[in-house]
Amino acid sequence: MVVLLAVVVIGGLVWLVRLSRGRTRTDRARTDGAGPGLPDRPLGGKRVAAALMSRGRIDVCGLTKEYRGVRAVDDLSFTVEPGRVTGFLGPNGAGKTTTLRMLLDLVEPTAGTATIGGVRYAELDQPIRRVGAILEAGAAHKDRTGRDHLRIVCQSAGIPLARGDEVLELVGLGAAARRTFRGYSLGMRQRLGVAAALLGDPQVLILDEPANGLDPEGIRWMRDLLRTLAAQGRTVLVSSHLLGEMAQLADDLVIVAAGRLAAQGTVASVIGSMTYLSRTLVRTPEPEKLAAVLGSDAVVTPAGDGGAFVTGADAVAIGDAALRAGLAIHQLVTQLPDLEAAFLELTAGKAAIR
Amino acid sequence: MTALLDSAALGQAGDTGTTLARLIRAEFMKIRTTSTGWLFLTGFIVFTAMALTINGFGNHSQLYPEQGLVSPAQAVAQEAHFRSPAGVAAIAASMMTSGQLFGVIFALLLGVLIVTSEFANQTAAVTFVTVPRRTTVITAKVAAAACCGALFWLVGTVIAAVTTPLFLYTQHVSASLAGWTVARSVLLSLVAFVAWGVFGLGLGAVLRSQMASVIAALIVYAGSFGAILVFTALYNLFHQGWMLGAPVIAPAVASEVMVTSGPAFPHAPPAWTGGIILIGYTVALVAGGIALTKRRDVI
Repeated sequence: MVVLLAVVVIGGLVWLVRLSRGRTRTDRARTDGAGPGLPDRPLGGKRVAAALMSRGRIDVCGLTKEYRGVRAVDDLSFTVEPGRVTGFLGPNGAGKTTTLRMLLDLVEPTAGTATIGGVRYAELDQPIRRVGAILEAGAAHKDRTGRDHLRIVCQSAGIPLARGDEVLELVGLGAAARRTFRGYSLGMRQRLGVAAALLGDPQVLILDEPANGLDPEGIRWMRDLLRTLAAQGRTVLVSSHLLGEMAQLADDLVIVAAGRLAAQGTVASVIGSMTYLSRTLVRTPEPEKLAAVLGSDAVVTPAGDGGAFVTGADAVAIGDAALRAGLAIHQLVTQLPDLEAAFLELTAGKAAIR
Repeated sequence: MTALLDSAALGQAGDTGTTLARLIRAEFMKIRTTSTGWLFLTGFIVFTAMALTINGFGNHSQLYPEQGLVSPAQAVAQEAHFRSPAGVAAIAASMMTSGQLFGVIFALLLGVLIVTSEFANQTAAVTFVTVPRRTTVITAKVAAAACCGALFWLVGTVIAAVTTPLFLYTQHVSASLAGWTVARSVLLSLVAFVAWGVFGLGLGAVLRSQMASVIAALIVYAGSFGAILVFTALYNLFHQGWMLGAPVIAPAVASEVMVTSGPAFPHAPPAWTGGIILIGYTVALVAGGIALTKRRDVI
């Protein structure tokens, strides 16, 4: 019996040690890197084949999520294309986070589908080699070091542990690798989130508010990083309510309000669709006379220092009317709304707490 | 910037084991890389040492009844009883499983924390995004909790296995630690440690909230012993014979019934009843935890 017990004890110990060390010698000898689903070489530079592009498209179709009678997301449909940065905008409570969580199979949709390259997230083979996500800046154990946090993700996904150190250097956290998460600033936490998202060298990046808490230098770093990733052919879907930042960063926009799609398209087309928000700055010696010749549809308001803003008539109509009336025009400039004005107009009255 | 993601590491093979094996190793890494697991282990070692000391004094007074407390005739009878081969074996078994009654609480709470700390630290989303197969994730956690329970048992047993022969030697009695009485206690103690670790995990998976789960675990464990009082009171009122054995339905009582050689309390049912009840609760909690984890949204 003693012998039996001793065997159990020693055997158990040996097994535990082996299990906690992880890789066996035969695993270590494998360096060909051709694990299932592993790209032949890491995606780098402009090396993303066109065939891969369709694998990176995000399709959201009729997506709906109801919580106790409240429709957090209501029949939402949009697509996100590879090779571009898509800004996902909406007021607080518009359903952005819920949508992203449905895309990642964390939240079960009440109706509709969300797919990546035509496949549901849960059905992807080795999902974090296809999709990298940041969901919460505070998503690591407070007592764990940043390095250990990443190594655990690597271990779970079957990615070499050394990859954790690579991405830490990539996001500039190398010096803080062995500090615990508790001591990280919000900006460092965001960088750790980015590092985790990049572990699998994914084709698709889904980032929920990644710029929150970053300082100006950090915001610029994030912008350059996301632009570079998109330029490599990756899909970048990034939610935010920092509109000024989004205007500089995004190629495309998806704007949601009260769980519904408010607008989708390129930044220029979304803003351009708001022509009724545009106005024309006119400088003329006789603004009153101009107002008289423009008719009742146009509204002329003084802009100070002799100029006037005209709404309800575009530059062509103003120029023609002035010519007919023999009025001198010193300046005629069309002013399109900025993203903020467009956003506020599109989401007006829909930001209420539901 | 063009070579942004060129990676030497990704060219290497990672852990090529099955998803479950990878996740079990990841769970061990999670436990190793925070202070909680180490604090629990340290606490358990200190607790076991204390339990051995107290148990040692208790057993000493059985072997050497103090003069004056009992009549000389009783003292002789008591000594004879405890010094019989069966008596010494029972003492050896009790030494070998010192502290187990409350020691399993360490395994229970660590099991709770293995799952609830993921929700408390919002890492559950990271875990489920990394591997969106929730049954496999919880199964890996079950394995980790079982191993932690086994590790506590191993540590406690090693400490006891070093101490017990010394104790028996100092008491001038001898017993074979390889005898069935001792081996049975030690092995059933392993079952208890593993079961309670997994019990805690299942409870945590069902409740998710760390605070609620820890409190519930402690109430279940400590409250179990109240069942003996409740059923004794009921028996005094209604005089139904089954009421005397009924406390075994409380998990911690079931555990005691399972590991105790001889009746754990008067009219206790046989040991296997306790084992089946404890394992039944554990399996039910884990099954419930998996079903709920699959259904629930991770927010």
